[in-house]
Amino acid sequence: MRLKGKTALVTGGRQGIGRAIVERLADEGARVMTCGRAYRPSDLPKEIGWQVADVSDGASVRKLAGQVRATFGGLSILVNNAGVQIEKTLAETTDADWDRLMGTNAKGVFLCCREMIPLMERGGSIINIGSVSGNTADPGLALYNASKAFVHGLTRSIAVDHGPAIRCNAILPGWIMTGMADAAFALASDPDRAKADALSRHPAGRFGQGSDIAALAAWLACDEAGFATGQCYTLDGGLTAASPLNPGLF
Amino acid sequence: MNGGADNASLGNRIAVVTGGCGGIGTAICERFVREGATVYAADIAGDSRSAARYLSLDVTCEDSIRAMMERIGDEQGRLDILVNAAGIEIESTIEETTLADWNRIFAINVTGMFLACKHALSLLRRAGGGSIINFGSYDGFIADPGLAAYCATKGAVHALTRAMACDHGPENIRVNAVCPGYVDTPMLQGFFGSSGDIDSLRQAVQDVHPVRRYGTPEDVANLVNWLAGDEARYASGQLWVLDGGLTAQVQQMRL
Ligand SMILES: NC(=O)c1ccc[n+]([C@@H]2O[C@H](COP(=O)([O-])OP(=O)(O)OC[C@H]3O[C@@H](n4cnc5c(N)ncnc54)[C@H](OP(=O)(O)O)[C@@H]3O)[C@@H](O)[C@H]2O)c1
Ligand SMILES: NC(=O)c1ccc[n+]([C@@H]2O[C@H](COP(=O)([O-])OP(=O)(O)OC[C@H]3O[C@@H](n4cnc5c(N)ncnc54)[C@H](O)[C@@H]3O)[C@@H](O)[C@H]2O)c1
Repeated sequence: MRLKGKTALVTGGRQGIGRAIVERLADEGARVMTCGRAYRPSDLPKEIGWQVADVSDGASVRKLAGQVRATFGGLSILVNNAGVQIEKTLAETTDADWDRLMGTNAKGVFLCCREMIPLMERGGSIINIGSVSGNTADPGLALYNASKAFVHGLTRSIAVDHGPAIRCNAILPGWIMTGMADAAFALASDPDRAKADALSRHPAGRFGQGSDIAALAAWLACDEAGFATGQCYTLDGGLTAASPLNPGLF
Repeated sequence: MNGGADNASLGNRIAVVTGGCGGIGTAICERFVREGATVYAADIAGDSRSAARYLSLDVTCEDSIRAMMERIGDEQGRLDILVNAAGIEIESTIEETTLADWNRIFAINVTGMFLACKHALSLLRRAGGGSIINFGSYDGFIADPGLAAYCATKGAVHALTRAMACDHGPENIRVNAVCPGYVDTPMLQGFFGSSGDIDSLRQAVQDVHPVRRYGTPEDVANLVNWLAGDEARYASGQLWVLDGGLTAQVQQMRL
């Protein structure tokens, strides 16, 4: 119960990594609110607050901040998890794709931080979900990769500008088994073989779970992580410690 | 990169290349000669395949390094460029690596570099400054399987490069490291030894590279030549990855 007495907002908690973080922060004693673009998911535990909010929309995020203030008074933990992925190269990407992807992954993080920071007390922790793809490219995910690099850069700026009151770190997941990862495997000509091959590239011998990311988020949120700020922590089962060529697999 | 003698960029320069008879070292020596430099190929192996002057050298032996610098001092009075390309690779995990293996690879890849740099300083100062180019590797950032000690030596090279750049920058001595990916040399053939030679794996290896080929010693010499010359006069303390885009990617699934 490391987060007793703390309040948390997790964006995009309907499913996947976001949901795992919501449940973990609540288990650790925090009062948690989450949001998504549609109605409250039926299986969301009743003690978790839900708001309909689109993080890419300024008015919607301001309204969300109002609801946080009305419910919690202030905010100790902000997790920017909401994200979308578009499987296209740069040449295939339309203006509308840009608005949709950068709107959520980049502008959404900017808007949530700008609107929530004034509500955050000393000792606050912001956790952004970046990606290993923001450091090294996944093929066919041009804007997605770039949006995550933006998140990593913004993480450092927030830590520098808003410390010591607020700490800000990013978690860079590798392959986490959620809807988003399955969509990426679906691109393969033989998704099952691709999955088996990808698995053999993980020194940990498995893909990640939402709970793996949630475990690090809980640590970064709590006061034990008081000296951790401005960092991008990779959590990928060892995937990116190895060369992309990995001749051991030939 | 321009590569012709018509545009010689290293005229009047004195250069020494350790490992100068190896795959990459030979290409560097040839390039430096074409660019107008006086070049010493220093190597423990006995035959220089380039037009450089051969010097017998064991980088692990301080007396051998001293003797080399004395000779260059006697013959040239100064040194402008030091390239540390001597290196070995041991293909094993730490479990299979004996303490003797470990000490040997550190002696050549790290201590040898330390000794060459240390004893080159006075000659570099006599030239009013100079350029040191070390061989790191992309393996100093991420791992290839079964190369543990080698990866560790290259990480040490990267750190030493930055430290020396910091200490000797004020004397106009620039220090950089070149970090190649897969370059077709005897060392790479050795690495592929157990799984087949690079030719049989050619297609597979090429396919993983964004530029769809692996590197040649000449590719590496192009970068070393630039770092050695005056165009790179503001470049110091950096680790220059040259890998055909290999490490810009996350590991590539085979689809
Ligand atoms: N899975 C992986 O392997 C992986 C790897 C690296 C990084 N990540 C990152 O981890 C985060 C979560 O990914 P996931 O795999 O859990 O994805 P997911 O299952 O697709 O979940 C994404 C969540 O974001 C919400 N969302 C999307 N756009 C939104 C918007 N404009 N406003 C508010 N909410 C929005 C969605 O909810 P609604 O539909 O209700 O709006 C959904 O709950 C993302 O930032 C992703 O980039 C994932
Ligand atoms: N080939 C690659 O793919 C690759 C990749 C990354 C880094 N590198 C680095 O580039 C450098 C050159 O590699 P290469 O591919 O030309 O290898 P190579 O084996 O062809 O050449 C290495 C040279 O170093 C010499 N040498 C070894 N021990 C010595 C000692 N004690 N004293 C003096 N000379 C000694 C050898 O005789 C040889 O000529 C090395 O530092 C290597 O680690 C190579």
